[in-house]
Amino acid sequence: MLAFMGDILSNGPLYESTFRLAAVLAFAAVGEWVAERAGTINISVEAMLLGGHFGAAIAYTESTNFALAIAVGAIVGMLVASLQGYLSHYLSADQFGIGLTLNILLLGVAAFLQPKFDLSTKLANVVEIPLLSDIPKIGPALFAQRWPMYLIYVLIPVIWWLVMRTSWGLEIRAVGEDPQAADVSGINVNARRRQAILIAGLTSGIGGAVYLFGQVGRFESSNIGGKGIIALAAVIFGGWTLRGAVAGCLLFGYVDALRLNLPNILGYSLNSQLLASLPFLATIIVMLIFAKHTRQPRALAQPFIRGLK
Amino acid sequence: MDAGRIHGVLGQNGAGKSTLMKILIGLVTPDSGEIRIGDQLVTITSPQQAADLGIGMVHQHFSLVDALTVWENVILGEGGMRLDRKRARQLVGEIGDQYGLAINPDATVGNLSAGQRQRIEIIKCLRRNPKILIFDEPTSVLTPDESEMLFRVLRQVVQLEGRTVALVSHKLEEVLHATDDVVIMRDGKLVASMQTSGTKPEELARAMVGREVKLRGATPSSAPAVSAAKTGTPGLKIEGLSVSSRKEGVELNGLSLDVYPGEIVGVAGVEGNGQRVLADVLSSLRSFNAGTIEVNGVPVKEGGAGAMAHVGIAVIPEDRHDSGCVLNMSVAENLVLAGLEKVSQRGVVDADTVRENAEKLIAEFGISCQSPDAPMWTLSGGNQQRVVLARELSADPKVLVAAQPTRGLDVGAIEYMGDRLRLAADQGVAVLLISSELEEILHLADRIVVMYRGAIIGEMPNKDVDLERLGMLMGGAQ
Repeated sequence: MLAFMGDILSNGPLYESTFRLAAVLAFAAVGEWVAERAGTINISVEAMLLGGHFGAAIAYTESTNFALAIAVGAIVGMLVASLQGYLSHYLSADQFGIGLTLNILLLGVAAFLQPKFDLSTKLANVVEIPLLSDIPKIGPALFAQRWPMYLIYVLIPVIWWLVMRTSWGLEIRAVGEDPQAADVSGINVNARRRQAILIAGLTSGIGGAVYLFGQVGRFESSNIGGKGIIALAAVIFGGWTLRGAVAGCLLFGYVDALRLNLPNILGYSLNSQLLASLPFLATIIVMLIFAKHTRQPRALAQPFIRGLK
Repeated sequence: MDAGRIHGVLGQNGAGKSTLMKILIGLVTPDSGEIRIGDQLVTITSPQQAADLGIGMVHQHFSLVDALTVWENVILGEGGMRLDRKRARQLVGEIGDQYGLAINPDATVGNLSAGQRQRIEIIKCLRRNPKILIFDEPTSVLTPDESEMLFRVLRQVVQLEGRTVALVSHKLEEVLHATDDVVIMRDGKLVASMQTSGTKPEELARAMVGREVKLRGATPSSAPAVSAAKTGTPGLKIEGLSVSSRKEGVELNGLSLDVYPGEIVGVAGVEGNGQRVLADVLSSLRSFNAGTIEVNGVPVKEGGAGAMAHVGIAVIPEDRHDSGCVLNMSVAENLVLAGLEKVSQRGVVDADTVRENAEKLIAEFGISCQSPDAPMWTLSGGNQQRVVLARELSADPKVLVAAQPTRGLDVGAIEYMGDRLRLAADQGVAVLLISSELEEILHLADRIVVMYRGAIIGEMPNKDVDLERLGMLMGGAQ
């Protein structure tokens, strides 16, 4: 058993895949965190990831420019976000219903459109950051990645600063806690909520693009397959703090990495279906333990209607 | 309102005070009429705009976010990009010093007492330098000391800074004590306007309660001899009922009340003094911390949905859409919802019985609907209320609780409801009428009790009702 634990701890590839898998989740989770702090449970984060993934694939095929393709991915993510925001705020439709519908819709649209484009994409270059990448075990995992992956290091502090240190962010948090109070304080509640959803679209769209150029290299409509939902779980796991959400991403990324690397470590393979269910099983167990004990934004998932408490 | 004075706005619930104030801060848009500030004609469509026009409101519950700190709440909604924590904290300190409203800027609002929250509300409001300040029932959650301090601040902003203050209240003493001028509202109209000094509380009480009550000589038409009814075992006996919660504090405070079979007892009082909680307890929607409830001398075992209904307490709830009926189900279904076991065998609902029951009740209560299968939402408000009434009375209740039973109904429907309540009482039901409309109570009740801060603080028979005393009791003066 000890030897087994030692194998797990000393396994370099395990660290590396943990980071890679966690990073994709983190792109989505960072945006979802903003949306939820503003009071929206944004299930369509899955569709936003897929939209970014697909949009980036098309844009790269046409331009062969990574930066441009990532930007297009971000825009497609925001398009999905504006649909979510428009439907749930102007038409006051149910935000869960819209989210689910968008997730299924995007999957269908991507699968339908994929053959119409002759998609050709590839992985971006690995950029090793000097010194830092020499740290044993975690060095290569964190600092010897394909360059789009490093965007997450920029995104997390920027988003945190926006939400926790600006007036706009204060208003976002107020709107998620008590929209009526925010309204009488002179804040346009639904505008703030739409902006928060747009941020979710932006980061998830980037996340989808980064996943393409940083990890898989080739578009498949099944690539995203539940990552958005796990990111959503990470936000809940983190008790609606950004720190916690990132920790959640690392945990779920680790479990997913274990699934990929366990056969190598053990030297023989386990039932692959059983392994594939590991991340989801871990999500359920973690949620059972943590979901009750944290404090969620008080107006989470409640639509805002002026004057209605 | 003249500038530089404190104006009291006095009136019962439903008189239109809150609506008027909501219009001023842009939460409600008026259908017609003009608002002028200075010489300028304005239309106010949102709270943002009201703030721009220099109107600030100190809300009782509305505008603080519990999860944020004091300084965050004070600057919330000011826009801009940079969040200057240092400046904001300093600001809270400065305004606090200037008005004697000291508060720790880093405290989380959710942990503070009602009085402290109000300080923040006031600081937040003054921070925007308003010309006109509106205070909505500001002392309802304050201790006497805190109220006194509030009035001192009001004096200061009016006398030293020339602002205008509107103080909305239903408390006579407070209006007399703290204002320069007072206007009295009733039924959405302004009925009196006077200078406060030299005015007697009795005058205000009379103006607040209104004219109709003086014409009332002919009313309690079918009222039986009250003293005769008030013998034997009470149909409903409530003793020492207390309800408190962490969020709302003490809501019912040792309330005791008897209702005898054959009489209608009217619970008068300004809304928000626990009437809703009382109705909720009698509907098994809330549980209570202490006290007993007896029906015909038998204590009711609390707990579980429908516990009160099983022992014969029927309720016409305050909000029929919320807890009175299911709008998307048919009239026939709504009529049997409270007693499904009567129309079903071994868990299977018998459609014929449901239909017969519906046809019988539709005829008996004159419910106007296309068919028993018409969805509830196709009915008018008055007919929906008849469905609720028919269902509750068809269960042969021992006690009938009617909470604001005529709210939102037209004149004809109101009259019908009154007749039905009287009929129920004549048939030996103990009827408890909870209403914020005093006229309704004066019209229907045999006995009137006044509720104030979660307890009954006074009682009088309707036939020799003393309106001045009633008005004083409702204002909290014993």
